[in-house]
Amino acid sequence: MTALAGRRVVELADEKGVYCGKLLADMGADVIKIEHPGGDSTRDAPPFVGDRPGSDRSLYFLYMNTSKRGVTLDISRPEGAELCRRLMRDADIVIETFEPGYLHGLGLGYEQLGADNPALVFTSITGFGQSGPQAHYKSSDLVAGALGGALHVTGESDDPPVRLAGSQSFMMASAYAATSSMIALYHAAATGHGQHVDISALETSTSVAHVCGVGKWLEDDIISRRFGTGLFASVPSGAYRCKDGLVYLMVNRPLHWKALAAWVNELTGNVEVLDPMFEGPSSSRQPYRDLLDIYITDLTSQLTVNEAYHEGQRRHIAFTPVNTSAGVAADEHLAARDYFVDVDHPTLGTLRYPGAPFRPRQTPWRISRSAPAAGEHNEEVLCDELGLTRERLGELAAQGVV
Amino acid sequence: MSGQRGQGDQRHALAGLRVVELSAGMAGPWIGRFMAWCGADVIKVESKKHPDVTRLYVPPREPDLGVQPTMSPWFTDWNAGKRFVALDLTRPAAVELARKLVATADVVVENYSAGVIDKLGLGYGELVKVKPDLVMIGSSGFGDSGPCRSHVTWGSNIEALSGLSSVSGFAGRECTITQYAYPDPLSAVHGLFAVMCALDHRRRTGQGQYINVSQFEATVAGFGQVMMEQLVDGRSPEKLGNRSPGAAPHGCYRCSGEDRWCAISVSTDLEWRALCTAIAQVELVADERFIDLNARLAHQDELDAIVESWTRERDAYDVMNALQAAGVAAGVVQNAEDLYRNDAQLAARSFFEQIPHPARGAVTATGVPLGLTGTPGRTSSTGSPVGHDTDHVFGELLGMSAAEIDRAVADGIIEKADK
Repeated sequence: MTALAGRRVVELADEKGVYCGKLLADMGADVIKIEHPGGDSTRDAPPFVGDRPGSDRSLYFLYMNTSKRGVTLDISRPEGAELCRRLMRDADIVIETFEPGYLHGLGLGYEQLGADNPALVFTSITGFGQSGPQAHYKSSDLVAGALGGALHVTGESDDPPVRLAGSQSFMMASAYAATSSMIALYHAAATGHGQHVDISALETSTSVAHVCGVGKWLEDDIISRRFGTGLFASVPSGAYRCKDGLVYLMVNRPLHWKALAAWVNELTGNVEVLDPMFEGPSSSRQPYRDLLDIYITDLTSQLTVNEAYHEGQRRHIAFTPVNTSAGVAADEHLAARDYFVDVDHPTLGTLRYPGAPFRPRQTPWRISRSAPAAGEHNEEVLCDELGLTRERLGELAAQGVV
Repeated sequence: MSGQRGQGDQRHALAGLRVVELSAGMAGPWIGRFMAWCGADVIKVESKKHPDVTRLYVPPREPDLGVQPTMSPWFTDWNAGKRFVALDLTRPAAVELARKLVATADVVVENYSAGVIDKLGLGYGELVKVKPDLVMIGSSGFGDSGPCRSHVTWGSNIEALSGLSSVSGFAGRECTITQYAYPDPLSAVHGLFAVMCALDHRRRTGQGQYINVSQFEATVAGFGQVMMEQLVDGRSPEKLGNRSPGAAPHGCYRCSGEDRWCAISVSTDLEWRALCTAIAQVELVADERFIDLNARLAHQDELDAIVESWTRERDAYDVMNALQAAGVAAGVVQNAEDLYRNDAQLAARSFFEQIPHPARGAVTATGVPLGLTGTPGRTSSTGSPVGHDTDHVFGELLGMSAAEIDRAVADGIIEKADK
């Protein structure tokens, strides 16, 4: 049993919304991904399985489209738009990422579909939102992260601003969109009234980075910027060199500092580190950050990452490894929780995937199928479910509509 | 008893839903903050013995005021719109009151260290006895099982632990960290999504459930498309910095002024021609080095130098607006002040929220970007003092008399409200 069994989602989404569909699909919703005939361009996004280019070998596409069914339709043609409209009429949620107004122009906007299906949740994910002077500006993951304030505060202080790997601005726009869609669906189930959900990647990015954003600046007049691996407000904090790599340390609470100072003293013989002037909250250590970093590096440089991690945690100090991707793949804690999952793909064999982002115990998250081939479910969805004859499907295929 | 249930204002998406929150910091409280914004009745149970770090706030511009438990901007961002009670949960009678409160609720959110909630007698196994269709979410760094489940972590620890900080950033940088503890907001939004899915399941089956979130696992899933290269092929993903295999030029370009930059993304040939025209170098359109995406990807260093020679003498907003007018994706690398003062789009959409505050009149907070156009959310108040809603919650919701509440306060079971 899955949480969203029986819920129907129609997805017309590029990079901004594809993870929204995945979140819903892996929780059990029947997500029908509509692509252009020939398939979405992200099918060719590198890198590829086995480092060999080829359609259906894109690791991005394979990750983002699990548990979905694939249908191809040219919605810019009237026949395609009509089939799309019929799919949307039966849906609980529509996810779309076109420029504001584009679907309306095809007769597939919220106002038009809502008339057919008043309980429909129609979720639009765009760079800037459906309204406002910049609604038609172009976006990208990089642009959304820049405008939202995330890039300004990521990385080393003397480097240019930098983004996180894996298009995190669009990932979070999608995560908010999935969440908001479910909130709207909750309301629709209670009242019969669906609604248009208007997600702006500019706004979601601003929200994600809010901890060093406007509220803080209005209070302290300090504009946060890049600050290396430490956090400005936490002393000490950051990545420290061990014998065989980096370990990450955060100290926020007075007790954690005392435990750390005691360990530095034990292992290095440093007596100054025990000075009471360093005790208390991070603010009391703020003037001594560089000095304390030297003391701590004297400790960590005598240890391996694993020694710093496990002995540090035994002492209730927040030491964690700075993991490489290989370290994560081999992580014993993730293994003990059976985190990674193996998914069979019809032509590529068994592929290992990151597992559940959350674990609902009664209705487990799962990947029900690997990413579909382009149009893999055309017949199943358009003929068996919408009632198109196979002859008609053949004609539409010949005309390039499906 | 729970007199307002089912009669909530239907203009709010989560009207009629009650949430009890046993949590501190951000990853748990943010779930409640968003639900309160959507109209849920969110009751935060605090403890004066273990105050939330944001309750220990000293205003930096008014340090003489001393500790101000309602003035932290983070307290507002994470807790505004909730009700507040305080219980000494080391006392059995207080645990009993918490259970009674849960019996009136739909959702429990907790993010104590792994195991603590069970030791308090408020684990899912206990709470489901008083509320059979309860939806409960527990969130911690490592989750509720596995050898490291009790480890101490903060958001930035998870950023490093998850591998995100080592696959991100410029080549040659080993660890690229955000100042916004990214795994915290990531885990909160994913957690709220899971809660809403569980509530949909409950509506249709009558069945509640427990949801466990490991922030480590949620974060790895959040850049899963990058991890796939390691998991499927055993290859370490290349560090791309600001570059993209599908676009060039693609980066942050220096503009005039101190630490001013504009992000620019050019994917298609059409956009490339638009960029060349906008920077008055149309001759580049025919340049073989940049003739298509593959050529541009192969000559990115030259491309970046050309673009930056144009941007660096110009104001970042002028760069953004000129390029957007030409149809090129561009955006200023904005800082906090820019977001508030200079972002015309956020202003036009009234993104920042003015929230009434008991001592300050009103404070400005970052908006909640859920975009619910049919049921727009709102924040009724900033976070109140500890115990502010004692009478309402224990009196009206649990039916205790004023004398009973006074006795529980005198006994230290209900902690005394702050002014």
